[in-house]
Amino acid sequence: MNKMNTKNWKVILILSTSPLFIVLAMVVSVLYGVKDIGIVTIWQAITHFDANNVDHNIIMTSRLSRVIAALLVGAALAVSGALMQGVTRNYLASPSIMGVNDGSAFVITLAMVFYPGLSNVHMILLSMVGSAIGAGLVFGFGSLVKNGLSPLRLAIIGTVIGTFLSSIASAIAMFFQVSQNVSVWYSSKIHTVNPDMLILSIPFIIVGLLLAVSISKSVMVASLGDETAISLGQRTKWVKIVSILSVVCLTGTAVALVGKIAFVGLIIPHITRFIVGIDYRFIIPCSAVIGAVFLAFCDVLSRYINFPFETPIGVVTAFIGIPFFLYLIRVKGGEQRG
Amino acid sequence: MDRGKIQFSRYILTLLAFILLTLVAGYFHLTNGAFDMSVMDVIKTLLRIDPNPKFDLVIFQFRLPRIIIASLVGIGLGMAGTVIQGITRNGLADPGILGINAGAGDAIVAFMFFFQMSGVTFFKESWFSILAMPLFGFVGGLAAVVVIFIFSWRNGALDMQRLILTGIAISSGFGALSLYLSLKMNASDYEMAAVWSVGSIYSANWTYIIMITPWVLILGFVMYRKSYLLNYFQLEDSSTKSLGISVEKEKLIFLLCSVGIVSVCVSVSGSIGFIGLMAPHIARRLVGINHRYIMLSSAVVGMFLLVISDYFAKTLFQPAELPVGIVVSIIGIPYFLYLLAKSRV
Repeated sequence: MNKMNTKNWKVILILSTSPLFIVLAMVVSVLYGVKDIGIVTIWQAITHFDANNVDHNIIMTSRLSRVIAALLVGAALAVSGALMQGVTRNYLASPSIMGVNDGSAFVITLAMVFYPGLSNVHMILLSMVGSAIGAGLVFGFGSLVKNGLSPLRLAIIGTVIGTFLSSIASAIAMFFQVSQNVSVWYSSKIHTVNPDMLILSIPFIIVGLLLAVSISKSVMVASLGDETAISLGQRTKWVKIVSILSVVCLTGTAVALVGKIAFVGLIIPHITRFIVGIDYRFIIPCSAVIGAVFLAFCDVLSRYINFPFETPIGVVTAFIGIPFFLYLIRVKGGEQRG
Repeated sequence: MDRGKIQFSRYILTLLAFILLTLVAGYFHLTNGAFDMSVMDVIKTLLRIDPNPKFDLVIFQFRLPRIIIASLVGIGLGMAGTVIQGITRNGLADPGILGINAGAGDAIVAFMFFFQMSGVTFFKESWFSILAMPLFGFVGGLAAVVVIFIFSWRNGALDMQRLILTGIAISSGFGALSLYLSLKMNASDYEMAAVWSVGSIYSANWTYIIMITPWVLILGFVMYRKSYLLNYFQLEDSSTKSLGISVEKEKLIFLLCSVGIVSVCVSVSGSIGFIGLMAPHIARRLVGINHRYIMLSSAVVGMFLLVISDYFAKTLFQPAELPVGIVVSIIGIPYFLYLLAKSRV
């Protein structure tokens, strides 16, 4: 009981200080970049926007939309990862490992080839369809195969099906000679995020996050195992369906917005679980906050690694994520479940 | 005894059949393409009867080197796959899945980056780069193996779960590193690195052939000579030791040879996955479980698979060409999933 209280205290601390950190991330992200902009100018740009002022334009069209995209995508990916890890009870489950990203990129490639010039809403919707296809293939195959949802096998199946989808996508893209457009589309393009798309994607992400929060209690029960969940009177199928819907909403929108970003959905839920414990009612909101702030800072970092050129943010998250992934294998590799 | 004879004749039959199949595939490869030639043209050109410079160019500069490279790389990957599956005792292991391809590939992208940027065209196609590129690849492949060992060594043995998971992590890590380096390159090097890294043999030429042939021959010979040891490795390590075999040393030699051969292949053709996985399986189906037979059978199967895949890569989407690595993945992944569904790892 006492232990629970300390965890609660941490949750309250994280959630109550989160606005502070988010604002801090926004200020840092808007302040630093190739062109240094003073904090006074930022304030002026927000209060008295002047369309003829170059600095104001940079702030409003590029930097601000960029940091908002990073925050939204970070939250979306972290929450999808947390949901997947909870529902499958697999410590490696995450959007990128389970082929969700690749499925989405696959369908977007098809769309760019066969229906060029689709509107942004359609792109987001198609991206979701793709996420659903990717997740469906991996989950479907995983549940057909014996022991297929164990961490090892799911990781193999996800990686391999992901490779398959992206191979077919690149074959098609090469044939129709749009591979450059496609690679620009899904190799982490956070620095050129489209403001119209960003505004469109906000409702989708909010719906996804609300779905996730609404089932967080059931996810906690599900994470105890199917038998326990059923004996506690839980409709496990329903929980799985809602969480897949939420994952599809969140990851599909994230890929449509900024492309494939690996490892955020894997590591953030682990870090969050380490801080707040195993209760998914706390993990889900906290990982949203931590993921958002994490990705925003990765984005700032990506401007400086190869200054003054941008480094794809996916490279930054991979460099941070891979040591962590190896650590997870080292610590948990022998277990069947995490 | 009688059964042994049957096994042996099946082995010889398999070798002959796949060599024949490769020749047939090679024949299609030679005659078809953007520039169609008749059978007689090809034969005349090859036998130097009434040489026509146009046919000479197509055959000797483009098609023949490509077929030879595909064969050599297929042989190398097939043998390396047999070794990796043999010493890890896991039918799902493959140089690509373990991240050896990615490690070697990354080192080669680094090589392109450091030696070919800033307009030092002197190095391109020079003997220095021809000799140094596979060595760079070898260092990268070894780095991948070292990481694999550090993270999957447990209680004095390789832990299979960790082995494969570490391989996945290494692959994506080296992939990110390659992406980072290739973005810093100038445009033409980037193009080269990008095409090369998905696994393609467009740019096959005779210098590449000279570069990889000795490696494939020497390392292949060592692996073939030692292939009987792989049979003992299927037993528990303690029983193998009691037979007087120094398991660790032999495994190390095997591992170094296969990393070497894979690195050489990667340095000319980029990362081609799944051949090292499929070839040993098909070979095992055909000739049984004796590794002495599997080794060469897997080499010829790999050779055939890669030549025919390259033919498809060239002709399927004419006039556009696919990198052969993509064709191999599209064929190989369903097969891999099938194996996974059947196995009980």
